Amino acid sequence: MGKVVGIDLGTTNSLVAYVRDGAPQVIRDASGDGLVPSVVSLGDDGTIFVGREAQRRLLTAPGRTAYSVKRFMGRGVDDVPDEAALLPFRVGGEAGGVVRIGLGTSEFTPPELSAFVLRELKQRAEDHFRDQGEFDYEVDRAVITVPAYFNDAQRTATRDAGRIAGLEVLRIISEPTAASLAYGLEKRDRGLIAVYDLGGGTFDISILRVEDGVFHTLATNGDTHLGGDDIDRVLMELVLRDIESRSAGPKDPAYTALIQAIRKSAIQAKWDLSDHEETEIHVESSAALPNRYRRRITRAEFEALIRPLVDRTLGPVKQALTDAALEPREIDEVVLVGGSTRIPLVRRLVADVFGRTPHSDLNPDEVVALGAAVQADILITGRREMLLLDVTPLSLGIETIGGVVSKIIMRNSTIPASGREMYTTSVDNQTAVDIHVMQGERELVADCRSLAHFKLRGIPPMPAGLPRIEVRFQIDANGILSVGARELRTGIEQAIEVKPSYGLTDHEVERMLLDSFEHAAADFDARLLIETRNEAETVINATEKSLRRPDFDAITTGELTAAEIERIHTALAELKHVMTSAERDVIHAKTDALNHATRHLAEVVMNRSVREALAGKNVQDV
Amino acid sequence: MTSNSIHVQPVSTLECRSCGAGAPVDEHFCPQCSRILALGRHGDYFAFLGLPRKLTIESTDLERRFRELSRKFHPDYFYNASPTERLASLERSSYLNDAYRTLKNPATRIEHLLAIEGMPPVKSEEGAAKVPPGLLEEVFELNEQLDEIRDARESGADRSGLAARLQSARTPIDAKRDEHERQLAALAAQWDAQIDSGTAAEARRATLDALRERLLERNYINNLLASIEREVASLGIGDQESGIRRG
Repeated sequence: MGKVVGIDLGTTNSLVAYVRDGAPQVIRDASGDGLVPSVVSLGDDGTIFVGREAQRRLLTAPGRTAYSVKRFMGRGVDDVPDEAALLPFRVGGEAGGVVRIGLGTSEFTPPELSAFVLRELKQRAEDHFRDQGEFDYEVDRAVITVPAYFNDAQRTATRDAGRIAGLEVLRIISEPTAASLAYGLEKRDRGLIAVYDLGGGTFDISILRVEDGVFHTLATNGDTHLGGDDIDRVLMELVLRDIESRSAGPKDPAYTALIQAIRKSAIQAKWDLSDHEETEIHVESSAALPNRYRRRITRAEFEALIRPLVDRTLGPVKQALTDAALEPREIDEVVLVGGSTRIPLVRRLVADVFGRTPHSDLNPDEVVALGAAVQADILITGRREMLLLDVTPLSLGIETIGGVVSKIIMRNSTIPASGREMYTTSVDNQTAVDIHVMQGERELVADCRSLAHFKLRGIPPMPAGLPRIEVRFQIDANGILSVGARELRTGIEQAIEVKPSYGLTDHEVERMLLDSFEHAAADFDARLLIETRNEAETVINATEKSLRRPDFDAITTGELTAAEIERIHTALAELKHVMTSAERDVIHAKTDALNHATRHLAEVVMNRSVREALAGKNVQDV
Repeated sequence: MTSNSIHVQPVSTLECRSCGAGAPVDEHFCPQCSRILALGRHGDYFAFLGLPRKLTIESTDLERRFRELSRKFHPDYFYNASPTERLASLERSSYLNDAYRTLKNPATRIEHLLAIEGMPPVKSEEGAAKVPPGLLEEVFELNEQLDEIRDARESGADRSGLAARLQSARTPIDAKRDEHERQLAALAAQWDAQIDSGTAAEARRATLDALRERLLERNYINNLLASIEREVASLGIGDQESGIRRG
């Protein structure tokens, strides 16, 4: 048997973790980075790039590079969101079918693209175990997390992605619950916990009761289309309004590249504004932008722009509390998860709602993967100190006459859960019934989500209303539904054919599994080159961050000479220039040069931070 | 909804699908081979949780039992077990979750008791247009007021004034519900005392009849209150953010 890991498959970044000597830890790359950007890019020769290399290709090959794929998991073409307009890749597919994402001339389903990210994580973990001298380093099983508010189709798509990547998916668990498990390791006390999880593309709120090591989810709510991506878009639109007159038409390659450059700057500005009161968005000139763009933005302006988005999290918070029959003040601890909870406005709002300062002792980017690793360990060892009891986020039922949904399992039911209801025929001598499985809270079919169609055949001809058709729902511990139906008078239980509304058939998953082997890019030299670029990029980002500090002049005056600063700029420009080079040694040399040029600056910045910390002043307050 | 699972009489023994030995119906694990037993046709949530068939349940005790059984049944702990045991774990966990949810809520707890005592289901009579006799006066009064308020709304009357009238219209209904809650609590205590003193089934039957009647009325009252809520919502001045202070 191979190794087992926990995976956080995120909208923006993904991570892999495992339990070692009883403690979960994130597996990092050579430069110490645990995050793998959830970006996939298709090279001209068919090579698949994943992670930071793919992220770099967003600027050079935007039409062949996909990100935020999680937003399309388990979705149909019909509900492709409007934001697709700003994405560099094509989003399409047949009407009524699963979304297909076009990269170059190839098409991929969202589970296939996610599988590339999972395979990268699997590879990273296997490299790690091999480096540790493990004989049996293969990773063949994983616990994968999903947003708590993911519906059945989205969970199934995630499980399919795991299978395509060659992983047995031991369990799908929800992200907030996983996070609470990681926190529970720190402090095993009892109480009511609220987990507020604002990630790259999704928002979840979960309320849990923790006692005797049992993490019992009482209620969950959320929005699978709300997160950091939306915040980025607000900033991108701000820039686009400024420069619109200069732009070409959409999907023009130069324009698509410009959009990605703007996105990169917008994200950088968003990060800066978590630490500083003011920053600058700047976009270098390019084919689609004749003049360099610069704009100052204050935290207050930023907060005014994103306030409506952050406010959208309040409705789900309120609903979850109502469903758990709790008042905000009864919550003992509030835990923040997801990169977007670094935004000070989000923290203030959460503190206001619950009347207490939220916890953020663990890295909000890593806490979900750590929890997934803990759950994986529980499953393979059978350890019973801790137990997660999750809920189904949305009610499940079937369509009945008149387009009304008859609910069989209510939302926030602890899983595994089962339910059964009796139905009958509506016309005489009806020999088959259509069973249309729905998920959602509303009364009408039109307002709920279609999950699948079943047909129960072979009912003997009888007057309407006489057959007694029992429909059984079973939700497993993954939150995934299976449905059975039988006619009780005759005992007929037909083999029912499943046609998922927005999913892949088993046959399709099998085929993709084989296909994926052909795309595997295992070239050792290619991987080394990518690692070198990753290291170079880490140094570039750190340098640019220091240079962009609003207090840069104040810190460096009297400490660094003008010539020193000039050397930093030169070394930075030279390294950026060789980044696309295929010569590993060249990139390596220029990375060393930049490291050397910035050593004094790094000392100065560090000393200042230490002085401020000693003076009792938080570095973030500077 | 939660109590809609099977209401069948439990059979007296189960057969262990792992070793073939017989086991009493309320056992969770085989006395012979100690493997988890398939659920069989269980119908009594009280017995399943090891509780007497009484309506007073200490919520901390119920939660403790739920946690303890979860730790015994949960599929997490059967990952490497045989398919038979995995299925049994899934069935028992699902059933436990349903049992906990049903017994946690006092109203569904009574419904479940009525069902396992062989009373006709409460659910089937819900939604029937028939007004419970004990509520005729209140319902008549309320409908009259609702009609007036709807007319006033359509002729453009002041909305906050209408909201106040809706509030006063619900006051007698609220009072009636409180009265029913008290009566239900008293009947529940009476049932428990009868169980403790070993009262004959016929005498207990009268208590069950009374419980059922009160429950039907209570559900009717809740529907009335829901229709008042809908009226308030249609005025569009409901406090959408109540319960959460906005920053």
